[in-house]
Amino acid sequence: MKKYILMPVLAIFALAAAAQDFDTDPTLELENAEKQVKFTVGARMMADAAYYHSDFTPLQSGASITDARIRTSMTYKDWYFYADFGFGGGKFAQKNIFVQYSTLDNSDNTHAVKVGYYNDPAGSMARNTSLGSYHFISRPGSSMALGEGRELGISYKFNNDHFMAYQGVFTENAYNKIEAGFNGVTVAGRYLFRPIADDFQTLHVGVNARYAHLGGGTVYNNVLKKTLSLGQPLETYVDQDEQFVSADLDWANNVVNLGAEALYRNDKFFARGEFFYKHVTKKRDSYSLYIDAQNNIDGWGDIEWWENANKLKNNNFFGGYVEAGIQLLGNGYKYNYQEGLLGGMDGKSLEIVARYNYTGLNNLTDGEYYNAGRGHYYANGYMEDWPGTGATSVGGGDIHSITLGLNYAFNRYVLCMFDYTFHKLDKPFLPNDKNFHVAQARVQFTF
Amino acid sequence: MFKNLVRVGLLSAVVLATFTSCEEEQQFTNEKLDAKRVEVQVLNDNLAKVRDYVPLYAVIAHRGSTFWAPEETEASWRWAREMGADYLESDVQCTKDGIVLANHDENLKRTTNIENVFSENVPASRVDFYMSLGFTRADAEAQYGRDMAAFRPFYTLSYYYAELLMLDAGSWFNESSLEQSRPTFKATENGRFENGHIVYSNGLYISAIQDQIAYAEGKRLVRDANGRRLLTYKVKDEYQGMTLQQIYDAIKAKGEYNAKYMDFIEYDFANAYEADPEDTGNRPGIYVEFKESWLNPGNMEQRVYDALAECGWNIITNDPGEQPFYRNGKVNVGNTRGRVILQTFSFDALRRANDIFKGRIPMCYLLWISEPAYATDIAYDTPTGYAAFIKWAQDNGAHIIGPAISGAPNNYPEMNAPWQAYMIRRAGMINHPYSFDSWAQMCKYMGYYNYGWETEFDDLLRLEIPATPYCTSSYPNSVPVYMDGFFTNRTEMSLRYMIENGFRGNAQLPNPFLAGQKYDNSQANVIVPDAVATLERLGY
Repeated sequence: MKKYILMPVLAIFALAAAAQDFDTDPTLELENAEKQVKFTVGARMMADAAYYHSDFTPLQSGASITDARIRTSMTYKDWYFYADFGFGGGKFAQKNIFVQYSTLDNSDNTHAVKVGYYNDPAGSMARNTSLGSYHFISRPGSSMALGEGRELGISYKFNNDHFMAYQGVFTENAYNKIEAGFNGVTVAGRYLFRPIADDFQTLHVGVNARYAHLGGGTVYNNVLKKTLSLGQPLETYVDQDEQFVSADLDWANNVVNLGAEALYRNDKFFARGEFFYKHVTKKRDSYSLYIDAQNNIDGWGDIEWWENANKLKNNNFFGGYVEAGIQLLGNGYKYNYQEGLLGGMDGKSLEIVARYNYTGLNNLTDGEYYNAGRGHYYANGYMEDWPGTGATSVGGGDIHSITLGLNYAFNRYVLCMFDYTFHKLDKPFLPNDKNFHVAQARVQFTF
Repeated sequence: MFKNLVRVGLLSAVVLATFTSCEEEQQFTNEKLDAKRVEVQVLNDNLAKVRDYVPLYAVIAHRGSTFWAPEETEASWRWAREMGADYLESDVQCTKDGIVLANHDENLKRTTNIENVFSENVPASRVDFYMSLGFTRADAEAQYGRDMAAFRPFYTLSYYYAELLMLDAGSWFNESSLEQSRPTFKATENGRFENGHIVYSNGLYISAIQDQIAYAEGKRLVRDANGRRLLTYKVKDEYQGMTLQQIYDAIKAKGEYNAKYMDFIEYDFANAYEADPEDTGNRPGIYVEFKESWLNPGNMEQRVYDALAECGWNIITNDPGEQPFYRNGKVNVGNTRGRVILQTFSFDALRRANDIFKGRIPMCYLLWISEPAYATDIAYDTPTGYAAFIKWAQDNGAHIIGPAISGAPNNYPEMNAPWQAYMIRRAGMINHPYSFDSWAQMCKYMGYYNYGWETEFDDLLRLEIPATPYCTSSYPNSVPVYMDGFFTNRTEMSLRYMIENGFRGNAQLPNPFLAGQKYDNSQANVIVPDAVATLERLGY
């Protein structure tokens, strides 16, 4: 009888383990079979050293403990609780914390409901993959700039060998720490089809979509001003400066993300890639701002004139990446069917990897003039005395990045990584910053 | 064994990467370094040719003088001319009837008694003024209503030039500069409307650009026995016989400027001046600033172009040919192709001036910075931002950059640090910083404090100045020079500095723009008159 009880419990344990952020098997486990409870504790540490060479604006080379975490989990019957906390950079940070109920039906389909703070399903394949399991020191820049991270919400996932449908409803901020407005609402989903899914190789293709209505913002001249900030560092963590690729989108209102992804792996090779599209709509209480602008001897004429001088434009941004790796030594690449993700290095192994990334945060309007001394655009193609000239361009920066890497795992706990990345930047505000070279190394310890 | 080697090698690589990352390399933004490596657009040949119309080390009398006399008036400009300044500087705005006049502030409150004379209303005499020009009362009252609708108190654009001649532009100075005050700066009678016509005040006036040019030409105002200037006016021929309504409609139909402006009056400037008996022969140029574009009509630059042409001072329409900047110890800039320099902070004015003057008259783009950045300020005062503004200025026909300088009493932001002066020099542009009030500032920006010491910017800025008989030292002067001319409120002090340090009255000055060539200003005046005695000589 015990056997019949234990088997489903172990199956759930397997599901739960796959659902956690660290996709290595926890080393420390406490199990009470009688009470059907399993408790795990794990930790990881990443120390990076990086050397940067740039054309103009320097980055700070050096070394840093880029991540340090403690994680715990508890499993009871169909229930799974997970939490991990970060200490990287000397600061405590809330990472994932959620509870999940999952079950297998008679057709071997998994149904899981998850509540808590965790990665947005449509946040990108890269962002859903634990950095501890990533085959590069950094995730691709486009996933940082255009993907999404953790959100507070509830989701439902349907999964079997060939299909995954993972969708949920979320809010922007886990603690509702906003100056004004409300916490926003997001609906997101990721959908995978696996035409090849066996022990030797896997191919999945997928799409994802996300709609977010931004709720929180600041009070500007008695008007709620919502700003969406996009950006990425130069695929490195020692200097996480985002000034090279970043944009602040004032008066953002709704955000639509659409993405596509593909992943192929066999024992000795993997390739994966994603495409990102982000559409940002704008909304503003123009009338109140116009009235406020009248509090000056130099008035703005009528509201139509004011709006024409302070135009809003919805923005579109694109990005994507392709990654590939060849394992020269090791137990082969693994695929996590529950998450639809590539696993990390498992045991002693050696691999070489390569990546191309493109992030496009330049959304320019034809005919507009930009002056780096003023730091903004002018609609009529030349500078004019009043700054509100109807310009709508966003010059967050376009960047192409190529990375070559070598990873060596001494065992399942200790890993060394070496990446070289070349970035080619086009950012109007930084016209002298074109080429960046980043050489970095990581020692990672996980248990 | 091999495995161990691999492991050791990998760990060593990590250590090496860490080590190399810690080398003492420059890992911060160094504006001095960046000033040398950031790309800077260089003046093209056409602009460089016009640049050389401007005398090196020009002493520009900022508003005539803000220290010794009421700024931008007959007194300050006559004084500056007689002191030996190379340029008489002004800020120009436009009256309701389209006269280009000099006024620094955005309104007339500080430098005139307009609040006492007109209060905050359309001048009460406006209807009578219209009627004095031959219009009916009904017509005049209707126009008065339109004037009220477009009225902005104390802004030049709200008043006819004849009305502004009712104001006293000197008495404020006596109240604000007690130690420099003089009874003659104050009018003894304000202007008024009397017996069917405007009676001007009898003191110092807001100056038209024609006045400024006349002073530069060695003239002064023609005045009557009561000390009032003589300047007649009439309705322009093209509007004779029309009602004010018809004139208003006709002007509006031109579409050049809006209803604030009623440019239908013609002033007889041709008979408004006489030879100044105190003129000693200096002929300075004029240095004219277009103020913020929203203070002026959209064709302001064309108006200045036309005014200069009418006075024979537009070198595009009246080329004086090659002339020396100095002649027999006298300033002769006013007779050269460099007789007029235009300047502005305004993006709009610079662009429109380029459309009209096409870079054929020397043009200075002025720099200012504030937090938050004002409409025309440079917002990012970095080498990259500076280079962007230099390019913008050149692309819009500028030959000169005019940065603010620090120091009391104005305490402006520093925009002419050595790295900034270096970038201007790299661009091949003239550097005219503003504005100087002290000997210490002269020393600072003429490199005196770096005398003999090596600096980072010596390759372009250091000059070897041969001594002259007028120098305080008989040794050559080796200094990095951070400017090529300057706006000064103390012409007497600045001239003395330039003479005593070899920058004036020297036949062997190195030309920083034309390598290997000498710049000769040995014919410049080398004796600086006493400032107070000069004022008294001029009758103040």
